[in-house]
Parts: sequence; C-alpha cells; structure tokens
Amino acid sequence: MARVSGRDHDGDGSRATPARRVAVDGVSKTYAGDDGPVHALADVSFDVTDGEFVCIVGPSGCGKTTLFRIIAGLEEATDGEVSLSGDPVDGPSRDLGIVFQEYHLFPWRTVRGNVGFGLEQTDMDESERADRVDELIDLVGLDGFTNSYPPQLSGGMKQRVALARALAVDPELLLMDEPFGAVDAQTRAMLHEELLEVWEATRKTVLFVTHDVEEAVTLADRVVVMAADPGRVREVVDVGLDRPRERTDPGFAEYVERIRGLIGE
Amino acid sequence: MSADLETELADRFDPREGGAGARRALRGLAGVAAFVLVWAVAARFNPDYVLPGPLATGETFLTEVRSGRALDALASSVQHWLLGTVVGTTLGVGLGVLLGWSDAAEDGAAPLVRLLRPVPPLALTGFGIAWFGINHVGAAFIVAAGAFWINYYAAYGGVRSVSDDLLDVARSLGVRSDLGLIRKVVLPSASPEILTGVRTGVGRCWMLIIAAETIGVAGVGNRILTAASNLAVDVVIAYILVMSLVYLVLDTLFQAAEDRILGWRA
Repeated sequence: MARVSGRDHDGDGSRATPARRVAVDGVSKTYAGDDGPVHALADVSFDVTDGEFVCIVGPSGCGKTTLFRIIAGLEEATDGEVSLSGDPVDGPSRDLGIVFQEYHLFPWRTVRGNVGFGLEQTDMDESERADRVDELIDLVGLDGFTNSYPPQLSGGMKQRVALARALAVDPELLLMDEPFGAVDAQTRAMLHEELLEVWEATRKTVLFVTHDVEEAVTLADRVVVMAADPGRVREVVDVGLDRPRERTDPGFAEYVERIRGLIGE
Repeated sequence: MSADLETELADRFDPREGGAGARRALRGLAGVAAFVLVWAVAARFNPDYVLPGPLATGETFLTEVRSGRALDALASSVQHWLLGTVVGTTLGVGLGVLLGWSDAAEDGAAPLVRLLRPVPPLALTGFGIAWFGINHVGAAFIVAAGAFWINYYAAYGGVRSVSDDLLDVARSLGVRSDLGLIRKVVLPSASPEILTGVRTGVGRCWMLIIAAETIGVAGVGNRILTAASNLAVDVVIAYILVMSLVYLVLDTLFQAAEDRILGWRA
C-alpha cells in the first residue's frame, strides 16, 4: 500500500513490509431480532499496518460501532476473528486504548486522576507515574487544568482528557468511536490538527470510526468504506494526499466525492 | 478559570440573593413565632397534663438539662444509636453493593429480601430482648434493622445505575478483577446514592431510638415513654426538643461532610 505521508517506522529507510498490527478476519455479527436474525456485520475483513491511521466510514446502520466494539474486545463476533499483533482479541485489555464519543471520563476524578487511572493498575512507581501523567497532559495541551473535574471542562477538553487517558498506558492500538461527533465544527478542526500531531509524536496505530467523510479524508492514510444491510466493507480507499490537508484542495474534494459515491450519499 | 471564580463570587455575594436570604430567614422566624403563639393560646384553654405552655415547657427543659438527666439520657441513647447505625449501615451498604453487582447473588436473595423487607423494626423488639437482652446491644439491634434497609436499597440502586461504559473504560485500562472494578469504579460512582442512604439512615435511626428503648433501656426515648405514661407532657415535649436539636446537629454535620466528599459534582 502507498505510504503517502512519507512516514517510515522502520527507521532505516528501506521499503520492508511494515508489520501488520490489526487483522480483522471474516468478522460477522448476527443478533436475534423480533423478525428473525439481524445481520449487523457480514464477513468484514481488513488489515491495519503498524503506525497507520485508518478511518472506518459508513452510513448509519452499517454496523461500524458494532465493529468498533468487537475490535475493542467489548463484544464478541458471531463468526471470524480480530487479532492484535498476531494474538486474538478476547476481551478489553491495556493494549487496546479506547476513546468514545461521549468521553466517559470518571467524574469523581480530576484531569490528573483520569489520565493516571490506567497507570495505577501497573507497578510503575509513583514519581514515574506522575511524570508520565504530566507529560500526557502537556501533550494534549491541558496543563493548567490538571486539578479540574470533568464537569468543569468543555467538550473538546473532555475529549483531550479521554485521549490522554487512553494513551497513558501506551496501547498498541488507539480505537476511537466518533470521538469528535459531539463538539462544534471549529473545535473539531482544531482537534483534528492536534490528533494528527499526537499521532506523529507517538507513532500510534489509530483506528478511527466516523460517519463524516471529510473527517475521514482529513485524517486517514486509508479509509475503510462500509455499506449497510448487512454491514460489510465496500472498498478500502488509499488517501494519496500530503499532510496537512486542505479541504479547499481539489484533490481533497475528489476523495470526498469518490467515498460519498461509494456510500451512496 | 478566573472568570469562573468571578461568577462564583458574584453568585455568592449577589445583594439580591443576600436580600432574599434575609427575607427567607425572617419569614422562617415569623413562622416559628406564629407556631409558639398558637401553642401558647391553645395551652391557656387546656390543663397542663394535656398541653403545657411554651414557657412552662422551656422551664422543664432547662431543669432537665441542669439536673444532668437530659445529658445522661442522651449519653445512653447515643451508645445504642451509634452501634446500631454503624452495624446496620455497614451490612446494608455491603449487601446492597454485593447484590447490586452480582446477578447470581441477587437471584438467590430476591425472595428473602421481598419477604423480610415489610417487617417493621418495632416488630423485632422481642428478638432484640431474646437474643441480646435488655441492654445497649438489644436496642442497637432494632436500630440496626432500621438502618439496614435504607442503606441496602440506596447502595443497591446506586450500583445498578453505574454506567457500563465506565466499566468498559476501566477494563480497557487494565482493571481485571471484580474487586478492582468495585473499588475503582462502582463505589465512587455510586457514592452519591450511598451517602444519601447513609444520611437518611442516620436520621431515621435517631428517631428509631424511641422504638428501641421500649424494651426498657435508658435513654431519651425511654424518658419520653415514661413521662408520657405519667402524663408529664412538659417532659415529653422537653425531650422531643432534645431529640430535634441532636438531629439538627447530626444532619448539618453530615451534609457538610457529604459536600466535601462529593465536591466533584459541579
């Protein structure tokens, strides 16, 4: 696949095949509905390479949230398998960092307490933990709010905390489910920039679910386009644009058009 | 941040707000005055053994306090009230959390809970005497039964309403065991409900000491019961006043503690 961003995690400049981080292999999900079984997902397969930023887009009802939950280990697939670095995913774990649209911060904990939550479950000693928490709060630009409680923060700030909290335990994969769906357009544009900066800085593999095609083209190396009834992969689109990407760029519009065409919008 | 602080200070020291506060206090005072007036008028037309006047009752109150009888009764009541409240609250919260968390435990206990729930603590006085005797422990048993249910239902409801998403987040951040999830997510998340239960229980149990002291243990409740059977209504009212004052202090202290613990709630 084309690595248009010019990032090369092998570090030696060779074109060696990058490691496969996530493999979604023939995943299906069937629910028992009132009028017989409902096929939420049918035979979904794709890979995500180490360090790659992949977006999943699709119309509502295409099962993208179900897929997100299966990859995160929060739900079981009826058929097929998801593996992370070669090991099957069989439940939530520290290797899978998740960020939800509704933030789901611990309201009784300060920003510092939220970001540090995962590290408290490790045997990292306290001073090291405090340094790491400070570093992450710095990374998402929330120094000055370390002792604030979630109800005192704006939506954009809450999502920065959720991102820092997920990154704190250094997961192999960062999974985000419509994380910026609840913030205004201006904040969203800012968060896009920041997320890409964080991604560049941490070299995390990111899987990002959205219904917003422009958001997907802004962020992703590749876009997994899904279709509904049953939820399936329609096509995987390589976004061959240099970053930072401008929405006014004709190339940008072309990708948006193409993906919208695939979705049928 | 400083803007937030400014609005907060403005809210607190809003002159209109202060005026409203003073007006409310004044109205409250007028209400109390009206009550005492009606009481005094009603007492005029009734003999003392039916309704003594406010002045006579005040005198009795002072006599009871000065003689040390009020303090003795209070000291006795507090002992079984405290024991009963602590035991009942601990068991109630503990079982409420357990049954709220574990479906298996809940299934097992559901019929028992429905069977035992309607039993009023007053009906348990016989067991208090039979199992523990006429002493502080016997009285505490009745108080504990009252504390138990309030705290059980509060904790159970609080645990049931813990967000599944928060639990998912905690799992994804490495919390594996049930005990870990309960300690890290369930208890803090349910703490507002649990503390409301504890606070309600503390007050209810203080009222329950009258029922508990019917078994014959000394205390404020016992003084009220004895005085009532002697038609010493002034003494009854004097000790009711003692109970109310203690309740007021307890509730104020608890609310202050609750506000501190739950400071994170904006």
